[in-house]
Amino acid sequence: MAPEERRLREEVRAFLAENAPSPSDLPRSLDARIEALRGWQASCYRAGYVGRAWPREFGGGGRASVEQIVVDQELAAAGAPEFVNVVGLDVLGPSLLRFGTEQQRQRHIPPILDAREIWCQGFSEPEAGSDLASLRTRAVERDGRFVLTGQKTWVSWGQFARWCGVLARTEDPGHGQPRHRGISMLIVDMNSPGVDVRPMTQITGHAEFCELFFDDVLVPEQNLLSNRGDGWKIAMYTLGHERGTAALPRQVKLRTWLDRLAFTLGDRALDGRALLDDPGAQVSLAQAMIGIEVLRYHAQRTVGEFLAGGAVGPDSSSVKLLMAEAEQRLAATAVELLGPAMEQADPAKQDEDAFWEETYLYSRAASVYGGTRQIQRNIIADRVLTLPQE
Amino acid sequence: MELELTEEQSWISESIDTLLSREWVTPQDVADASPERRRQTWTALVEFGSFGIKKDGEDGLGAVELCLIARSLGSHLASVPFLGSAAVRLALAPQARSLPAGIAALLSSHDPIGIALLEAGSGWTVERAGTRLAPGRDGLEIRGEKVAIEQLQAAGQLVVVATLDGAPALAITPAGAAGLTRQAQRCFDETVPMETARFDAVPVPSAGVLGGPEARTVLRRLMTAGSLLAAAEAVGAAGHILDLACRYAGERRQFGRTIGSFQALRHILADAYVRQESGWSAVRYAAAALDDGDPEAAQAASIAKAYVSRGAREVAHSAMQVFGGIAFTAEHPAHRFLRRIGVRAQQFGDAAHHERRLGRELAERVSQARSALSSPVLAEAFPA
Repeated sequence: MAPEERRLREEVRAFLAENAPSPSDLPRSLDARIEALRGWQASCYRAGYVGRAWPREFGGGGRASVEQIVVDQELAAAGAPEFVNVVGLDVLGPSLLRFGTEQQRQRHIPPILDAREIWCQGFSEPEAGSDLASLRTRAVERDGRFVLTGQKTWVSWGQFARWCGVLARTEDPGHGQPRHRGISMLIVDMNSPGVDVRPMTQITGHAEFCELFFDDVLVPEQNLLSNRGDGWKIAMYTLGHERGTAALPRQVKLRTWLDRLAFTLGDRALDGRALLDDPGAQVSLAQAMIGIEVLRYHAQRTVGEFLAGGAVGPDSSSVKLLMAEAEQRLAATAVELLGPAMEQADPAKQDEDAFWEETYLYSRAASVYGGTRQIQRNIIADRVLTLPQE
Repeated sequence: MELELTEEQSWISESIDTLLSREWVTPQDVADASPERRRQTWTALVEFGSFGIKKDGEDGLGAVELCLIARSLGSHLASVPFLGSAAVRLALAPQARSLPAGIAALLSSHDPIGIALLEAGSGWTVERAGTRLAPGRDGLEIRGEKVAIEQLQAAGQLVVVATLDGAPALAITPAGAAGLTRQAQRCFDETVPMETARFDAVPVPSAGVLGGPEARTVLRRLMTAGSLLAAAEAVGAAGHILDLACRYAGERRQFGRTIGSFQALRHILADAYVRQESGWSAVRYAAAALDDGDPEAAQAASIAKAYVSRGAREVAHSAMQVFGGIAFTAEHPAHRFLRRIGVRAQQFGDAAHHERRLGRELAERVSQARSALSSPVLAEAFPA
């Protein structure tokens, strides 16, 4: 580890030890919790730990990308709450920086950083999941404005968002043309008349994501990101960006969960001995650990190219596949190993079981969100192995 | 940790590939390669400088470079005594100055080295070897039996893992020493020839024996280096059979289409690609850790070996599924890759061996951390 990296890690650790709220400190009600999380992101931003690699002129830190990864790894290692504006930071902020006008960047980047304005993304639709290019939401230009009509789904944090990056069809692709032509990216004010937000309860019991309905919503022309028809290009950039950078911090989180599981197994007895001492349980833990560590080795190798200034390549799909595999294996291992002990748990220890049940349920989304496992395999088959098209 | 290859490392990798394309045979012909061809290939590797291994403070090849060479050897299915020769030297190099003269001499020679470690009925451990070093008429003698010694017929020197005064030790003996009886052994991959050896009071000079705590350090490092080199070779073999399968999928037609356009096969190949590439990332990381003297290098090597032992086999299976019946014929090279991967997957511990070890170590660490956490409570409960 380079001395400057070590210094940064120590600095972040000291900050977190002093300032990070523990998950049990956060308010129970969702609205109050979101407010607390806004405050948490803002204090991290003031400390220089949000948007550390974003340009200074828009409120960023102007540092090397690797520093943000180091900070995010430390946040994950400390179990600090995740940033509430994750969609703004990981998905739409990078797109605004890459494709936005000067005015758009001045307007939107600073409030993304300190969570004054939360962002969401309107990509998927009920009839356009993996087949995103078949989306039906339309934006028709009239009198210097776009009139937006359609429905979006799986919109994380939609009920708290002020802005939404919406993919909409502005032109028909034309006969015989690929369908991803004619799709544009619009920046939509969630306070506009005609926007309807309906939270959906997930299998974890939380209502983290929503359905969005647009009924003749008026979007000013200047809220078009890049040019008409650039929507697909922007969406691929943002999804690739998310895949490319999120893996290393996520890996640290998985590693802390693995250690947490091992501790819990040391605490639980079955047939008179600690589960942790059972050779079968030890092998299962080792297999989970192997998946998590190989994710780190592989992500470091591929993210290296991204940090060197290159684009996120199709190999980010390999990282995405390994990340889902590692997370799902760990979570499944936890419920399998704790299984019998969960049933007989001491009521005082049920919080731990609830954590693993929720982690297990949530892990099933890892091979669906941001492009399913099957889509990632298609990307590799097309762009890396250059196999014949289907 | 730097995971991009340096220019020099990329050059080594490309040069070894070029060298093997020139000196060695195609995968179809590996079983028929003549002894002269094997010797010639080996000589070319030695002349290239494959054993200019870095000793303390000097320039030279480290684990990363040797793993790059091993990956190319696996890709070409070369049949040379590289694994033992490289693993032993990599294990000895950091201790170069404090080794007994006879052992240190290996570092300045280019002799092919065989490793006599396994014994019938025991696993990949350097502890409690049944083969013993004990005083004889003129100094120490080796007595015992070893199995699965790779490339013994080509080896000039043999490193024998033995027990001395109840602790692990290693001894060097010429492969043709008096009192050493060899016998060829069946092997899953005939191009990786294996032999058994019986040691009937084979004398070794004291300069050829390493015992005590230093022996344990060197032997542990030998297991780490051997695991990585075996894994690197398996990754290379997996990469080549995967390339062949992708090419085949792009040419072979059924149902009026090239079969590589069927999603069922595209997904098999995409998964195999991820396994192979991430396997190399794991080897690469662990090798860099070993070169950096990282205390976690042994654990990283175990992770890499466990992952690649399963993963490379999976890649070979997937490739064979893509080839279909043709890969079941003896003349097709698929089984050559499968066999090589199978042997390298076993050597220096298969996946199950390393998983047991990693799991045990994780449990021990957590148990220690737990007792450290609870010790203030204990201190209060049982005041001195």
